Amino acid sequence: MDAHTRKVYVPMTETGFYILFCLQTPNHGYGIVQRVEKLTDGEIRLAPGTMYGTLSKMEKDGIIRFVREEDKRKIYEITELGTEVLQLEKKRIRRLYRTIQEEN
Amino acid sequence: MEAKKEFRWFSIVQHVQEQDYLREQHKKGWKFVKVTGLGMYHFEKCEPEDVVYQLDYNDDRDKAEYIQMFADCGWEHIQEYAGYSYFRKSAEEMNGDEEIFCDDESRLAMMDRVYKGRLLPLLIIFFACLLPQFVMHLTGGRYLVAAFMGGVLALYVVLFTIFAVHYHRFKKNMGK
Repeated sequence: MDAHTRKVYVPMTETGFYILFCLQTPNHGYGIVQRVEKLTDGEIRLAPGTMYGTLSKMEKDGIIRFVREEDKRKIYEITELGTEVLQLEKKRIRRLYRTIQEEN
Repeated sequence: MEAKKEFRWFSIVQHVQEQDYLREQHKKGWKFVKVTGLGMYHFEKCEPEDVVYQLDYNDDRDKAEYIQMFADCGWEHIQEYAGYSYFRKSAEEMNGDEEIFCDDESRLAMMDRVYKGRLLPLLIIFFACLLPQFVMHLTGGRYLVAAFMGGVLALYVVLFTIFAVHYHRFKKNMGK
């Protein structure tokens, strides 16, 4: 993993994390919006401007890749680099969670 | 159908003010149709309604796919103008407040796109053309031309300052 990827994505925004997390299964932008809404009991509703910008940037940075287009909706999936980033993030979040548990 | 036109000037970083203006108009029963020229806003009479207007700046995109994603989320695409895309969604259809951006990182990323797309080209013209010419005319003793160029340069400096102030105000207000 190069310095740029590490700097931009570790740690990453909550929005970014959910998008990358969902793309472990190929999906399109609106599909991710719906999935995240379900995962968070409607607490997080991703907005299209944020979604579009994040997907473009993640594709450029090589952590997700374009798979195919269906009815004007681009389907993406996570790359190997993306999986590495996600593992680092999961580790970081688990550590955060552990700290909270121990200190409370 | 009854219609009206209003002239308004919003700088490229005043999209928040522009959104508010369009929302206010719709609340008063004037539905936004399009903006043309240097800032001529066209409206048509409608039932007063609370409709949220949003602007996105994105010049690097697949237009059909882009509009589809916004439509899926309930945002109607109205038009493109000066690199900006105009969207609207009725407040009634929303769960609480909704915007086309849901975090400050993506709001700031949009500002950065505005800067790269609109302001950077101006800066390049400033330093690559205007400034050297000004110095050339001044050292060559062509004071009248130099004074004129100086005026243009001063105008540029004022514009850049306005942009910079807006940008920093926007950044400072983030997260509120």
